[in-house]
Parts: sequence; structure tokens; C-alpha cells
Amino acid sequence: RRHRELLKEKRRRRQELFAEQKKRKLLPDAVLKELAAAPPARPDGKAAAANRGKRGGDRAVKQTQGQAQRQVKKDKRRKGARSKGNYTAVRLKDQSLTGLHLQLAKDFLNTQLYGPHTNRAQANEFFSLENKKNPVKKAAVQFVDKSWGQEKKQRATRFKKRWL
Amino acid sequence: MGEFEVHRVRFFGLVPAGVRCLACQPRGGRLALARTDGAVEVYNFAANYFQEKVIPGSEARSVEALCWAAGERLFGAGLGGDITEYDLARLCPARSVDGCGGPVWSMAANSTGTQLAIGCEDGSVKLFQVVPGGIQFERNLDRRKGRILCLSWHPSDTRIAAGSIDILRVFDVCSGQTVQRIMVNYHVQKVKRECIVWSIAFLSSGTVVSSDSFGRVQFWDWERGTLLESHTISTSAVLSLAVSEKEDSIIVGTSTGATYQFQLLPVKMGSLEKRWVRTKPFQHHTHDVRAVAHSSTALISGGLDAQLVIRPLMEKMQKKGYDAALRKFTFPHRRLVSCARKARLLLFQFSQHLELWRLGSTNETGKDGEVLPLCRMPEHLVQLKSKGPEHIYCSCVSPCGSWVAYSTASRFHLYRVQYEGDSISVKKVPKVPKLLLPAYQLQFSADSGSLFVASARGSVHVLQLLEPGGCKLLHTFRPPSGSPEAVYLLAASADGHWVAAVSGDWAIHIYNLKCFKHHCAVPAYSCAVTALAIHPVTNNLVIAYSDQQLFEFSIPEKQYTAWSRMVQNCGLHRVWLERDSPITHITFNPKNPSHILLHDVYMFCVLDKSLPLPDNSALLMNQSTLKQLPENARQRQLHAFKICKKFQPLLFADLLDENCLVMVERPIMDVKTQLPLPIQQKKFGT
Repeated sequence: RRHRELLKEKRRRRQELFAEQKKRKLLPDAVLKELAAAPPARPDGKAAAANRGKRGGDRAVKQTQGQAQRQVKKDKRRKGARSKGNYTAVRLKDQSLTGLHLQLAKDFLNTQLYGPHTNRAQANEFFSLENKKNPVKKAAVQFVDKSWGQEKKQRATRFKKRWL
Repeated sequence: MGEFEVHRVRFFGLVPAGVRCLACQPRGGRLALARTDGAVEVYNFAANYFQEKVIPGSEARSVEALCWAAGERLFGAGLGGDITEYDLARLCPARSVDGCGGPVWSMAANSTGTQLAIGCEDGSVKLFQVVPGGIQFERNLDRRKGRILCLSWHPSDTRIAAGSIDILRVFDVCSGQTVQRIMVNYHVQKVKRECIVWSIAFLSSGTVVSSDSFGRVQFWDWERGTLLESHTISTSAVLSLAVSEKEDSIIVGTSTGATYQFQLLPVKMGSLEKRWVRTKPFQHHTHDVRAVAHSSTALISGGLDAQLVIRPLMEKMQKKGYDAALRKFTFPHRRLVSCARKARLLLFQFSQHLELWRLGSTNETGKDGEVLPLCRMPEHLVQLKSKGPEHIYCSCVSPCGSWVAYSTASRFHLYRVQYEGDSISVKKVPKVPKLLLPAYQLQFSADSGSLFVASARGSVHVLQLLEPGGCKLLHTFRPPSGSPEAVYLLAASADGHWVAAVSGDWAIHIYNLKCFKHHCAVPAYSCAVTALAIHPVTNNLVIAYSDQQLFEFSIPEKQYTAWSRMVQNCGLHRVWLERDSPITHITFNPKNPSHILLHDVYMFCVLDKSLPLPDNSALLMNQSTLKQLPENARQRQLHAFKICKKFQPLLFADLLDENCLVMVERPIMDVKTQLPLPIQQKKFGT
């Protein structure tokens, strides 16, 4: 039953992704048109740019390709009005070659030890036999899996963000 | 004896970091250990395997290789590309040299300890000279493609064997050229992955031992480039390998948590031809064993399940006693919890944050063994995050609960906590006196009016805490003859008259706080101090040593007490001396001056000085038998040690008031579910 629910969630997720992509295509054009129609309205323009800046900033963080990259570039151009602090300032000194090497090394280690060909088991599975065979039988080690209902939780947090 | 209401705390979410590297000091009886979070620890074998030094890690530091050089100097190198020398007296990284080869995967010192070779990400092996001030780059050996994951010097220091991906290379040190190149994946059919050589060892006979990701341990002849023997011991990778000094025994660790011993044994009785045979399998760990070491008498392994296991070899032991017992260490040998007794608060120390909790309460009473319902749940009051990548060295909360202090390698923070009804406000104390950091131990005085800071070179700073939120440096105590090591334990008396400090050279000094002078030093003992405390009424200093001995020293009289002399004359019970973990906290019951409360990881004990000591023929853990006896029979069998083993593993235990105890446990299974994934074990019938 849980398997079916997981499949349903996957399908729902894909639907949502398609819907979002469609929305993304529409929204920037709509706002652009608005801005083009009413350039002298300074506070509105600022607010609109700030909103778009925020959304663009969020998407830049999520690192989606194509649409989002174009969106971010446009935002950078229009950032005469400072958006409300959804930016990160990084020192170029910190983003050095060492960081890149370190990341590559860590990725290599991860794939070798925890990659697809290693036969890794979840903690629940691994320790479940002990709990079943103990003289005092106990429940599963991790009774609740935190990844259940991920979609609902994500939607709830997004809903909260919109209303705050 | 007493009935106590016990607050059984299991919400300290400590997850110790896994063991990544091990290095035995060649002639010193010490073991250096590095963890996945960058922490470096030193264990002293002679002091009953006590964790005598701890250098906390850092987010910016990763340690992939650790080695001893030039006798007492400890070097580490990691994926950050630097080679760091650790200052073991000041417990911090001393100097750092950039390897200039990208992330460093492996490091080894030659047999004389004068040169270090590192294996880098870019495929080069670099040689460094160990000089008195640090290390100096000497030269690069022949560089080829493929990261060098492991390397080993030949005992004559003329050749180095290095393991890479699919390839094993042997370099000649003088010329720097590759003199042999062996393909390691030659014998594996129909598998498309690459063969990673995880660890390597070069024996003096010219045999190169390698372990790889296909679960094989292989013996090669380096000159001819041929395979002498191949043992497939596991379906998962064999991650680590260590050879004994006599080169007749090898220990290997695998990804499944199993370790195996190989021994060089004659083919037939009395025959001269010898062969390597896989002799003993062990399953001490549940997760990957990424580090193994071989001392002269024991097999040592450390896994990603944060356990250090020391398995003494029976054939090397003279007699079958406690020396030959298996030792397993999961939790640190120091206190990570501090308690504000009056305010009923607990401060938990994590590597990068602190948590302040208020204990729950109950209105009901019950009989022995009953679980009482709570009328107020324990509350997580404050979480203090430490800024920056460095991990926390020490932390403390004052007895009244309104001051919290902690120290990292370069920062010292003091906070004032105010409680207004249900709300908490935490304010940082702005101008803290400039001290030589880090602070290795913090202890508030009993009246919460001063803070004692343990510092380098045996010194103890006394800071006076001022209302509404400030502090100033009152005095700095130093031992009269100076000390190169740092102070790691402090104890303050309840009347605010004395403070005792233990430094890394195991000397205990007692200072007088009224006239700010050194009072006396406790006579030297041949073992490390694991816990100490000053009695509130008699001002006796109770000391627990790592060999499980207990001493009581009278501070006003400057000598051991009569009870302590009696304990030394009679000797402690054999079962008491054969405990695996050191005592990390000693406390007292103000209403019962003859009681001493102490605990280690597996037991909690109330020591009653007014009762007789048990001799070796009596049962030490006799609480359950005493409960079943009638009153008069009980009186005859009563002895001083009242031990409770109900709460384990115990990280902290303290007396809140005369009827109330708090026990902080950390069930091992809770730790194991938060570790990286283990390898699937197929069990018969499941």
C-alpha cells in the first residue's frame, strides 16, 4: 500500500513540476509587459522588481537551468532597486581551487564507499533482525521514516512562506 | 541507604564521529587517533588506555592520514591539501604546510622518522624533511596519472610502494623513478568497475601487501611484478591494513565491519617455507573499519561506528588476566554534560553547538523500580550555535543557571541567561578579558561568582563575574616549577577557598583563593587523573585515576586521609579494578558527608566511607542480593560500594538534591541509526 502511495506522490510531484514550469514561462512575460506599460510608476516598479528579484533569487538558489538562468540575468540588470536582502555576498578568495579539489575528492570517496554498486542497507533493515530475535522483542529501530509525506510537508512550508 | 527519584535523561543526541586514522607511536606506548570530523586524540596504553589528549576538530579540517615522526611529533594531512603538525602540549594544530598537490590522501614516515612522504590527488608522491621547526619540502618523485591513495616505505627507506586506482607503483627514493608498475585488476573477470587499492604495506622481504575494493588481500613480489598469493576475504572492500613490527602478523579491516588477522606460518610443522594464512576473524564493528593498527601485543581497529576496539593477542600475553581483555571505547573519556543543580538545568556540549535543557518534574511517588508520570515535560530552553568552523573545547553552566561559558580554539564566549517567568533571554557578555586561548576546561565556583579557566602551561585564570553582565580577570595561578602541558581538569571547593587543577603531566596543584597563592601539590602518581572533586564539608580532594585507583587527599592538612591510606593498604576489589571505562564525574551528598557518588560509562556507585571495604572474596555488586536478605543478615554483608548497573551507557550522573538523581544515558542503538549506512549482511534464514 505504501508502495502505491509513493508512486502516487511521484506522479503528483511530476504534475506539479510541469505546472510550475508552465507558470514560470508565463510570469516573467506578464510582469515585463506591466513594467513596459508603466515605467514612471516608481514605487510599483520597485516593488515589482523586488518581487521578481526575490523569486529569481530563490530560483537561482535552486539552480534550475534554462528559464531560471535567463530570469536571474534579467534580475541582475534590473537590480537598481535593491531587493530586500535575498542575496549572498561571497569573497572570491574563498571560492578557490582548493574548494573544488576538495569537493571532487569527497565525491570520489562517496561514490566508492556509498555508490550504487556497494550493498548498503538502511539502519532499519540492518538492525531489524536483532530486534526481532532479542529475548525482549522491540519495535523497528526507526519506526517513522522522515521521508514519508515529503510533498505535503514541502507544500505546507511554501504555503506558510506565502502568507508570512 | 537511600531512595532516589531518578531523572532518566535520554535526549542528549550525541553522535560521536567515526574513527578515520590510527597511528601507533613506534616506541612510546601511545596511540594517535583521528576522527572524521577532524578531531585528533591520543590514548596512553600504559595508563589503562586512557584518552589523555583530545584536540577538537574543525569544519575546515579533514584528516585522511596521521603519522608519528621524530619520536614525539604528530603530523596529520587531509583533503584540504595541508600537512599539519599538532602541538600535543597546547592541544591545537601548531604549523601547517601546503602540500601543493591538491588533497592529500596518504602520508607515511620513514623508519627513522626523518622524512615524510605524502600521496596526493594529482598523482605525485612528495617528500618532506622533518626539521626541528617544522617540515621542509624536499622533492617530488616521478608523477603519473591517478591519485595516490596509500603508500608505504620499505623498512630500508630506499623504496616506496604506492597504491592508486587499478595500479600499484614502486618508486626508488634516491632517483625518484618508478621502478615497477603492477596492474591490480588483472585477475578480475566480467566486472567493469575500477579496482581501488585502499591500503598497502611494504615488507622487508620485498613483498608488497595490498588490499583493494574487490575484497582481496594480495601479496606481490615487487621486483618481478608477480602475484605471490591472493586471498579473497570479503565481498565488500578491504579498507585498511597494518603490519606488526616483526612482520609476522597483519590485520585488515573491511567495509562490513569485520577484521581479519593474517599470520606468517610454516607450511608444515618444522618446515622452513612459510606462507601467509588468514587466521582469526573478528566482528567487533557494525560499520566500515577504515583504520587499523598493530601494536606489539594487540590488534587495534577503529570503525565508522565511532568505536575503538583493542584486542590483545593471547599468544603475546604472559598471563590470562585483565590485561588480555577486549577493550571497546565508544564515548569520550571526558564530561560533555554540566548540571546546574539548583536550577535543575543541563547543558549539553556538541561539537558545534550547546543545548540548555530544563528537567521535567513529577508530583507522584512510587516504589522501587516504578516509572512515574511527568506533570511537566523537559524543555529545550536555549540552543547556542558556535560561529566559525572550529569545534568546542569545553563548556560549563553555573550552579544557579544564569551563566553559560564555552571556548573554541580561538574564541571564548560568556553568556548571561535570564529567566522571566516562562521566557528566557540570553545576552552575550561583551568585554571578556583577553586570555591565551583555547580554554581546556571551565568551572564555575559554587556561589556562581567566579569562573575558573584552565589554560596552557599549567595556568588557571580566575575571572570574577559581575552583575548585571560583565567579568574581569582577578588572578592567574601558575604551578611553582612551571609546566609545559595544559590543565585539563578543575575542581572548586564549595566554600570558595580552594581550587585544584590537573595538567597534562598528571601533576595536581591546589591553589588558595583567599590569598591567591599556591597551596600544595598532591604527591605524584604514575597514572592519569580522570576525575576529581572537593568535598563540601571536609575539603578533602577525592581523585580517581585511570587505573581505577581512588585517593582522598586532605587539603587543609596537605596529606592523604586515614581512609585513603586504609583503601591503599587493603587494596580495591578486583572487579572494581577491572572496569573498562574511567570515572568521569565525582560528586557528594551534602546531607551525608561520608558518601561519595561516582560513575563511569557502565555503572553508578555510591561509596559509603563509614562502611567496611569488601575484600576480593566478597561480591562487589551485591545490591540485588542485599535486597532479598532480611534486615539483620543484611548488616553483616553490607560494604562500602553500592553499585547500580541499571542505567547504561551513562554519560553523566549527578545528585540534584537529597532525594533526586539525574542520569544522562545515550543508548548505543540511537547512535547507530544516525551513522552513515552499513553494508547489508545476509543472514541465513532471513
